[in-house]
Amino acid sequence: MTTSQSPVSSPEGHECEYLTLAFSPSSAPLRSRWRNNGLSADFLGDYVTTFLPTEGDVGLLASRQKEIKHAVSYLANELLENAMKYHQRDVSIPIRIHLELTSHDITVSVSNGISVSQAQIYQAFVAHLSDGNAEELLLKQQEENAMHGEAHVSALGLLTMISDYDAQLNWRFEAHPAHRESMIVTTFAVLALNAVTGASA
Amino acid sequence: MKNINGESFEIRLEDDNATVVFKGALRLSGTEDYAPILDMLKTTMVDSDTPIVLDLRELNFLNSSGITMLSRFVIEARDRTGIKVQILASEAVPWHARSLKNLQRLMPSLSICLS
Repeated sequence: MTTSQSPVSSPEGHECEYLTLAFSPSSAPLRSRWRNNGLSADFLGDYVTTFLPTEGDVGLLASRQKEIKHAVSYLANELLENAMKYHQRDVSIPIRIHLELTSHDITVSVSNGISVSQAQIYQAFVAHLSDGNAEELLLKQQEENAMHGEAHVSALGLLTMISDYDAQLNWRFEAHPAHRESMIVTTFAVLALNAVTGASA
Repeated sequence: MKNINGESFEIRLEDDNATVVFKGALRLSGTEDYAPILDMLKTTMVDSDTPIVLDLRELNFLNSSGITMLSRFVIEARDRTGIKVQILASEAVPWHARSLKNLQRLMPSLSICLS
């Protein structure tokens, strides 16, 4: 695993803080790596609390910190679990998780390698998601999943992020620089700080 | 009493065969890994006179695969005549207020006791 962190200026000139972790999935089997998803997610959740406000009502601040810490941990864990499950193992690129904090929002993004055919399925899901209501889709897929098994489990994770955590999701699909049959997908989950708890960094 | 334990969690079926207590953080990787827990939950669905109680007050984290496992359980309970389910939840655990409402939408008679 490699890490990097730094305060930088965003394109708008506002200072932001970021942290990146990178994993090489081939260096450990998925089952033994799985526990690291939770460790990394909890670490990111803890990390952001350093930058949250410390002045004001102590009880309220503690409650806001707990909410944000949990929300970041949940989003990071779900994104990492999806990346670990769907990463294309025969391409030599790491899975990266990136946390970025500004005064307005927190972005957790994860990128991984994916086959072109898998990317097309994912893009169709993204289009389907933008046409519907996440809460309704979540309930519909829970009913379908109860009848048919695990087909939509990763979609359920993304739907809970929108439905239960008010996360704004975005995606970037890029051609892999060296493998024509592969793409790199990055999933971004943005939490607006004032929407989560009224807090700001 | 029956237990399912992992590195970060503990699940206990009480002797009344109607109360299941969850503790810790559950982040198993999918349907297959959650199957033993779902099977344990289903063993409670035998007596419609005794409400089933899921005590989640000390379950601090549940991933979406775990939420799906609970959803499958409440859907099955909903579809069986007379089965009553109560969830004990905590205001101190952030995911409870965020995610348990969806279980209630799947099973409107589900009772959630938030303390």
